[in-house]
Amino acid sequence: MPYQPGHPNGQNHHYASLRRILLTSSIIGPLIPFVLVLIIGYTYFKNAQETSTVLHMKRIAFDHGQMIDSFLRERKADLTCIADIHAFDSLRRPEFLQATLTLLQKTSNAFLDLGVFDQDGLHVAYVGPYQLTGRNYSDADWFKAVLKNGFYISDVFLGYRRIPHFIIALTREEAGRNWVLRATIDTDLFNQLVKQVKIGETGEAYLLNAQGLFQTERRGESQLMEKDPETLIYPSPESGVRTFVEKDAAGLPYLFATTWLTEKKWLLVVRQEKRDAFAALRKASILILITTLLGGAVILVSAFILTNRIIRRMEEMDAEREQLGEQLVRAARLAELGEMAAGFAHEINNPLQIIKAEKSLIDNIMADMKEKGTLTPSEDLDEIEDSMRQINTQIDRCAEITQAILKFGRKSEPVIRDVDLRRFIPEILAMVSKKAAVHGISVQEQIHADTPPIHGDPAQLQQVLLNLLNNAIDAVLARHGTEGGELVVGTEPSEGGLVKLFVKDNGCGIRPENLKKIFSPFFTTKPVGKGTGLGLAVCYGIVDRMGGAMEVNSAEGMGTVFTLRLPAAS
Amino acid sequence: METMKMMLVDDEERFLSTTQKLLTRKGYDVITAGSGAEALEKLRMENVHVVILDVKMPGMDGIATLKQIKNQFPMVEVIMLTGHATVDSAVEGLKSGATDYLMKPTDIDDLIAKAEDAFHNRQKIEGRIRVAQARSAMKSPRQILEGSE
Repeated sequence: MPYQPGHPNGQNHHYASLRRILLTSSIIGPLIPFVLVLIIGYTYFKNAQETSTVLHMKRIAFDHGQMIDSFLRERKADLTCIADIHAFDSLRRPEFLQATLTLLQKTSNAFLDLGVFDQDGLHVAYVGPYQLTGRNYSDADWFKAVLKNGFYISDVFLGYRRIPHFIIALTREEAGRNWVLRATIDTDLFNQLVKQVKIGETGEAYLLNAQGLFQTERRGESQLMEKDPETLIYPSPESGVRTFVEKDAAGLPYLFATTWLTEKKWLLVVRQEKRDAFAALRKASILILITTLLGGAVILVSAFILTNRIIRRMEEMDAEREQLGEQLVRAARLAELGEMAAGFAHEINNPLQIIKAEKSLIDNIMADMKEKGTLTPSEDLDEIEDSMRQINTQIDRCAEITQAILKFGRKSEPVIRDVDLRRFIPEILAMVSKKAAVHGISVQEQIHADTPPIHGDPAQLQQVLLNLLNNAIDAVLARHGTEGGELVVGTEPSEGGLVKLFVKDNGCGIRPENLKKIFSPFFTTKPVGKGTGLGLAVCYGIVDRMGGAMEVNSAEGMGTVFTLRLPAAS
Repeated sequence: METMKMMLVDDEERFLSTTQKLLTRKGYDVITAGSGAEALEKLRMENVHVVILDVKMPGMDGIATLKQIKNQFPMVEVIMLTGHATVDSAVEGLKSGATDYLMKPTDIDDLIAKAEDAFHNRQKIEGRIRVAQARSAMKSPRQILEGSE
């Protein structure tokens, strides 16, 4: 890490709250619309899906009811046709009845048998799989009902045959006497007809009579003529379809559609397990859940990444700003110090001037006394004269220091020009080449051919370079004596509008603890009287005023590199 | 040939007295002034050839005094005594009509040498003025000065 005056020190306690705020807002911001969209989408989809499922169910119940009704109507029409065409006397003949049944079965194979009854309920003729001729039905419910109504469709019952079946019967009047024509409907076939509903995996249809007994089979263990275990709330006996959701005996929720048939007081029930009916909705819900989780995760992760990035950038910027501020303070302090020092120097110049004048006066008086002979040469006189010379030397030394301070603190206007380093650096090196040669130091130039001209005051730049070169020579001498010293001065093309210029030596290097102090005014490692400690401070000030920067890299006992970055001429 | 008459202007009393003694011993005619105002006052009374003027003085500083001197007594040569060579005040002094400048702490021999130069310079100019005056007594010395550059 090269040391540059003014270094940042991070303080990040206020970043924590900033991070929280940023994170919260960057999560909540996208999350609210995201979740809202999902909720709205889901709600609408759910409603649409439910509506369409229910409608579909209703439609099936309605159509199916129509179909069963029309089946019953057709069978009724078949029988009506037979009864209207043929007379009781012809029908009571078994051969003729058989022929009629065969004809009927051609129309619909739902007819299982056919029977003719007289007014008293006596079974006068029967064709079919059972032996029922001669039995009396005057007490049977259906017989009473058909005599009363003229036409009757029965519920499913056992009858004499002890097998669940239902019948269609009608009565005709002939010569003042009633007779009854009865047909049994094939239960299996009718079952198939009702059951043939296909909806999803669990959709089914069955019939219940007005008492809630099964008229057709239902999936599972239900038996014909059993009471439906579900306590279905029967819809009022109107036309139209009613839909509702109800749990079955096992507690599974079902979607129901019910409608009353018109031909017979039977209730058609179409039902489907709710989870089957709304399977598409469930799939959508799962997808939405996955989307929510994934989307939420993406939002979270990106919010974290974004926040971290922003905070990091802010920290960097703050550090930069702090560094700039410190540099500014430093520069201001340096300027202040310079002014103060210049004030001191000016003040010290006056007493120095007086001492110098007094000393000159003493010299003058002594010279006169010698001339007059009032002062005879002696060892004491020599001592005095030696002291006087020493006073002169010390005054000159003071004068040198005040001059250096005044130079450091001066605020003269620099003469800004374009300086071509490719020509300028060799000129400067020529000034120190003799000194370097005397001390056995090899001086190398590594000036890049593409080095652009820089913008600055040549006189000041010369001062800076000479200072650095002299320091380097001193450092090399301190380590190697008069052989093996190496000095490299080089440039590199500009980057970011700054041209790099470096002065590298293999001298004694700078101690790490001193690295931070070398640009401070009055800091010197040279023995008393050898250095003012102002050289590098002045250099730093000059480069800073040029709009450049100066830094140092050094390894103790290995060497030092001073790097200048100077503004390129535009 | 008239002898050079100098005036030292400085706010440091001891510097004035010591330097005056020195210069007197070396055979020069020297008067002193402790401030710019006093210097202008004495210039009105006495005929001074060369003024050694300190730049940093309380009240009326060296530059202001210089301007006044050159304004009121254009024929007087002024040597500025400044803190250091490259300071702007020295340059400004030269721009404002100072003949030369000396750096503090200055050596008495340098001071004498510069004063002598200035004095001879002045005598040359005066010689030229006398010739010019002989040609035409109408022009003011200032105009001639400007014309002779």
